[in-house]
Amino acid sequence: MYEDVKMPEGMNPEVLEHLMAPKNYGKIEDPSGVGVAMDEQTGEYVIFYIQTDGEIIEDLKFATNGCQDTVVVGSMFSAMVKGDNIQNGKKALAKMELKLGGLTPKQRVCTDMVLEAFVASLINREHLLNGENEEMHIIKMKESCEVEENE
Amino acid sequence: MNKLYQAKHELWLDILFASFAINDKQIKRDLYNFSTIEFRHMKWFGDKVLKDGDDYNYDRTKMLHKRESVFDILRYLIVELKKISALYGEDILNARMITDEDYMIHHIAALLDNRANDAQITAFNMARKYADKNLPQEQIDALTVFLFEESYKEYELILVYAYMQARTTNLTHFNVFQDLIDESHFHLQSFGEMMAKMGILALPRELHSMTYIVKDIEKFVIDGIAEEEGAKEMCKTLSDAIHDDELKRFFDFVNYQESYHIELMKKLL
Repeated sequence: MYEDVKMPEGMNPEVLEHLMAPKNYGKIEDPSGVGVAMDEQTGEYVIFYIQTDGEIIEDLKFATNGCQDTVVVGSMFSAMVKGDNIQNGKKALAKMELKLGGLTPKQRVCTDMVLEAFVASLINREHLLNGENEEMHIIKMKESCEVEENE
Repeated sequence: MNKLYQAKHELWLDILFASFAINDKQIKRDLYNFSTIEFRHMKWFGDKVLKDGDDYNYDRTKMLHKRESVFDILRYLIVELKKISALYGEDILNARMITDEDYMIHHIAALLDNRANDAQITAFNMARKYADKNLPQEQIDALTVFLFEESYKEYELILVYAYMQARTTNLTHFNVFQDLIDESHFHLQSFGEMMAKMGILALPRELHSMTYIVKDIEKFVIDGIAEEEGAKEMCKTLSDAIHDDELKRFFDFVNYQESYHIELMKKLL
């Protein structure tokens, strides 16, 4: 499962497609969970909406004011886990995290922000299922995407 | 939220991006001018919505239609211009919008009468060649990323500043927002034209309300200045990386404009 998880390496036709028309971009009305990953230093954020039916991720959408790396990763990741179950979504997330080392520091932070927003949406879903009143779950990023490229 | 406002927003983008996609200079100029009229309609209508105690947002549902010929684009615009008229009411602003769009429909229809105006559209062919310039692949890649990054940012800035301008009672702020909106229109036009030349024309992605509903103007300005610094850096990096005098000069020119944006933004503090 997700052995061949893809990352935005270079400017290939697939990356270009994600840039020109990001997949699953936007929002969902009455979602099962909403999560935000926020870089307080720059004001950049990623917001994820998930709609589940039992353990199946029926739909998910994301939005961001971040850079194109963030958009491409969000587009690739959301396309990968849409229609799958939450457990496999978490596996995909772990596989992507393993690949972070191969990215530039800035890409690493952007990718992390996408993945954290997805995690936040799952946490929000759990909270809502447990009867808590939480509009959205927010995770504040430890690293900023203003990270130096030569780090 | 207001349906007509969303339709105006989408129509502005339809006409603006049609102007980028079409190569004929006269048709391009006419459509660009029409798009600026649509943007003003959007602004005036937004003011009216707020005055009436209602609100609007920047939600969009329409995608960019990748048409293959100039006539396909022009026919599409006529359909969209006719479609919006069903949403109009009966006041003086609505009357103005109707007469403007009647003229646009008439003008575009006249273009369709002349077969010589038709041509193939190359703005979406993903060729990633910059006109007659023979740029190496790494420079094309750098330019591609820059154009996607900055075309979104300029669109975002136009809408965020317009949102704040509509809600300020401070005249200095109002004027600064107007200057910044005008500057961003010029940048969006420049970058959109370049994307079309390279065959990678794409609509900037939709703005989420977290982006344009600003609760802390001071933080917004400080973050905005940091973003302008980032944009300046990107222009400089690109100018250094691209070995073409014309493009170099253009990116240096944009870089200096960003410097003055920072001065304008400081007036908001």
